[in-house]
Amino acid sequence: MMEQVPAVITAEKLRKEFGRVVALRGVSFQVPASTFFTIFGRNGAGKSTLLSIISGMAAASSGVIRVFGEDPAARTQRHRLSVISHESFLYDNLTALENLEFYGKLYSVQDLKERTHHVLRQVGLHHRRFDLVRTFSRGMLQRLTIARAILHNPDLFLLDEPFTGLDQHATEMLIGLLETLKAQGKTILLTTHDLHIGLRLSDQYMILERQQVVETGSASGLTEDALREKYFSLISSGEAGQ
Amino acid sequence: MSVIWAIIRKDFQMEFRTKDSVTAMWIFSLLIFVIFNFTFEVSRLLMLQISPGLLWVAFIFSGMLGLNRSFQVEKENGNLRSLALTPADPGLIYFGKFFSTTLFTLIFEALIFPLFIIFYDIHLSLLTLWIIPIAILGTIGFTSLGTILSAVAIHTKQQQILLSLLLWPMITPIIIWSVKTTGDVLAGDLSTAFQPVIIRMIVFDVIFTTISYLLFEYVVQE
Repeated sequence: MMEQVPAVITAEKLRKEFGRVVALRGVSFQVPASTFFTIFGRNGAGKSTLLSIISGMAAASSGVIRVFGEDPAARTQRHRLSVISHESFLYDNLTALENLEFYGKLYSVQDLKERTHHVLRQVGLHHRRFDLVRTFSRGMLQRLTIARAILHNPDLFLLDEPFTGLDQHATEMLIGLLETLKAQGKTILLTTHDLHIGLRLSDQYMILERQQVVETGSASGLTEDALREKYFSLISSGEAGQ
Repeated sequence: MSVIWAIIRKDFQMEFRTKDSVTAMWIFSLLIFVIFNFTFEVSRLLMLQISPGLLWVAFIFSGMLGLNRSFQVEKENGNLRSLALTPADPGLIYFGKFFSTTLFTLIFEALIFPLFIIFYDIHLSLLTLWIIPIAILGTIGFTSLGTILSAVAIHTKQQQILLSLLLWPMITPIIIWSVKTTGDVLAGDLSTAFQPVIIRMIVFDVIFTTISYLLFEYVVQE
């Protein structure tokens, strides 16, 4: 008998409304531990809203969300998760080291000095640790963003369109870092509209269209062409239904 | 405490590096003192009556510049969101921003006060020391509300306009009390109304700092 992998994220019938605008319509899914889970969807499909609810930054209008078995709004599991988006979350007028030290204190990281140097080496920015962030290239910024995100050694990563605005080199570097995190057994939830990158990294995927789940499945053995065909047929059927 | 201290340290590190706020605040205050000093040719008695208002115009308007700048850096790269995503208590994040803005404004006020004395020929006495607690109470009233309202306004496109619209009506009482008590001190006449006004300022600060601390969690949520 196969052992049941515990779910890190459980969402049941999540609904979110902003006034008259419905951002999510009864979204249900589970993300098992140590899984790379990708949510595909067009702009406005509800991906970012879903991530905001999972991170505890927004409350669902109805439905149930559990992260590590707890309501994310309770903030008890914040130290176990990390959010990466197209925004760097860094201070331009602090050095790389100062940025990490600042966030390390907010996360109460043990042995902060050693840990900051370790993660800076990990992302290849140790030699630039005394440089102001405003002097960094987009790729270096994204590496430092990753360093900030892994500083407190979280178990769950929430990535909201992290490839936006990255050039090819920086994209490959980010993919490499995500593959390393995946190999370490971290749980990763990625939202993207890039089918190629999403499929390359994923164990499981879900497609959001018109603020609801229209497809979930395993990415293993799925070709990009098959996913692309499925994705566009679901989107066009959604458009036809509008 | 480490969260509060980390935020204060971070804000001061950035300000001393860029000097963005202090430069704008310094020029603005200097302009106010110079323009009003050379525009009105009034008697010393009348000058004593209007100078407390001028001092607080300089304090509050330059304080607004500092407040705007303090939250602009939290907006630039989504930093306020990242602060809210940490396990740190949002109330402590509020106190970090509140203390850093208050300290910065008070230091700045201490730097421009000698200019005020020179431009308006203020006679110093032991009573003048009362300016220190008045400045502290007035500034706390301004920054306690300014900190939370800046966090509200940060989510909007017209951040500075919205902040002014929200903040000015709410800080009007503390400004009036600050000007009134400063006037009493500069005139060397602590009237019977002086002490009750100081007590009102303390109550105002305690109430609005507590409310802001309690509400900050909801303000930083999306």
